[in-house]
Amino acid sequence: MKRFPSARSVMLACAAAGAIAMAIPVDDTPSHINHVHSLRGAVATMGQIQDTVANNNQTIGNHATGNRTLVPPAKPRQNPSAPTPPRTAPVQPGTGNQVKPPSGSAQPSPNQSEAATPTPGSQPSANNGTAIGPESWGYTRKTSKLRIHVIDGRTKQPLEGAEVVVIETEQRFRTDKNGDTPWFDAPIFRNPKYRPMVAELHGQLGVIAYKNGYRDSIHLGIRMHENIRQEATVWMYKIGPGDRRIEPVLYQEPYHHLWLIQLADKFRQQSQIGEGPERP
Amino acid sequence: MKTLRRRSTMAAIGFMLAMPGLIAAPNVEAAQTIYNTSMPSVMRVAIRENNASGEPDPRGRIIYVQAVPFVTYCEDVLPNEWFPSWRPEALKAGAMAVKMFAWYHHLHPVTIDGYTFDVDNTTNFQHFQDLSSQPTTNAAFAAIQNVAYTRPNGEIIELNYSAGYQNDPNWQYRNAQKMAQWGTEYWAEKGQNYVQILQFYYQNRALMRLQS
Repeated sequence: MKRFPSARSVMLACAAAGAIAMAIPVDDTPSHINHVHSLRGAVATMGQIQDTVANNNQTIGNHATGNRTLVPPAKPRQNPSAPTPPRTAPVQPGTGNQVKPPSGSAQPSPNQSEAATPTPGSQPSANNGTAIGPESWGYTRKTSKLRIHVIDGRTKQPLEGAEVVVIETEQRFRTDKNGDTPWFDAPIFRNPKYRPMVAELHGQLGVIAYKNGYRDSIHLGIRMHENIRQEATVWMYKIGPGDRRIEPVLYQEPYHHLWLIQLADKFRQQSQIGEGPERP
Repeated sequence: MKTLRRRSTMAAIGFMLAMPGLIAAPNVEAAQTIYNTSMPSVMRVAIRENNASGEPDPRGRIIYVQAVPFVTYCEDVLPNEWFPSWRPEALKAGAMAVKMFAWYHHLHPVTIDGYTFDVDNTTNFQHFQDLSSQPTTNAAFAAIQNVAYTRPNGEIIELNYSAGYQNDPNWQYRNAQKMAQWGTEYWAEKGQNYVQILQFYYQNRALMRLQS
């Protein structure tokens, strides 16, 4: 009587299973490192990620939170076959308002007089004609001029020397004596999840402001429009002796209410009219 | 005797008929016009408490009343009511509506919960957000700062507005004597200037130059 499965078929199956198991890629990096750098590897950015960014964090972002541990300089996950991007030398803080111009982004040059004298209605730069990320993620080539104004939230006086970081592009700027950053090209990102249904009428951008002696201020949802110059004000709050838990302050700028009206009208049913459609 | 009684009766009836005219005081209230009032210097803005998502609640408690310079108030309203990226003529029409709305309510303050104020920071009046002005909307205000849109006799009236529909002239808003915000952009795109846009939505009004 013939046995089934035979010893020969069992051996073949074991060999096939071993081959499949060896074909599974194994990531030898520790999991906690993957967690730290996973965002850098996943999200496309305008500027190239460099170690100097983290170094600037250590030298400039010296907050009053003494017990806070700094993340070691992050190394971007790169494709081994791709050529190593050239590194740009970090700019000294005293040389200008821009702390570190990331290479490859649409930055105005230091001698560009247009950045100092804004002209309304000027056309935004096309970001060298290159896409800065996948269109399906909401990345566009469109940029617009933006300036951040940083003030003390209690006295409303402008804050000089605050460092402003654009989250989406990692651009860094420093405020002047009027509390203003220079005009810079900022991308217009629209959240793509609503695009097939109701096109967003403005993009959104986030910035973080740092200054010694002040709480970090995270300002999200700055409204970005094409072809115009825009300003946003970041409020920072001084750290006082009574402050025990020093944590960042968040301000989330809402969507423009005209778009919210459109959004609500879009999905309204006849049987559930709520406040009803927009009417005079 | 009979004649005398008749005369006295007639006099009493005449007196009773004339009484209402004697009691009712004549209406001496003068209309508030651009000739007898000046543009406000300060707006009293009631700041209402935020809702759970951090936005001012139109039915929230009034926390305090903030005194804001009039021009600053208008500049901090317009970007929150109109899109700063809209065409300049649409923004000028919006600037005029925001300005005249604020002017009217400065002349008609209200008192709620012990606070006397002109407007609050919600859509009960106009959406005000401190330090939110934008260069394009500021330019629109600068363009209309010396003019006002009133009744032909100069009386200051409230210019109402509402969102309206996109890419539509919004005729129904014209019938309601309200300006459609989307309609301003529609007409500006068609090449109309801000006076023509205002004339489309507000009838029997006039553009008046303010005396310096």
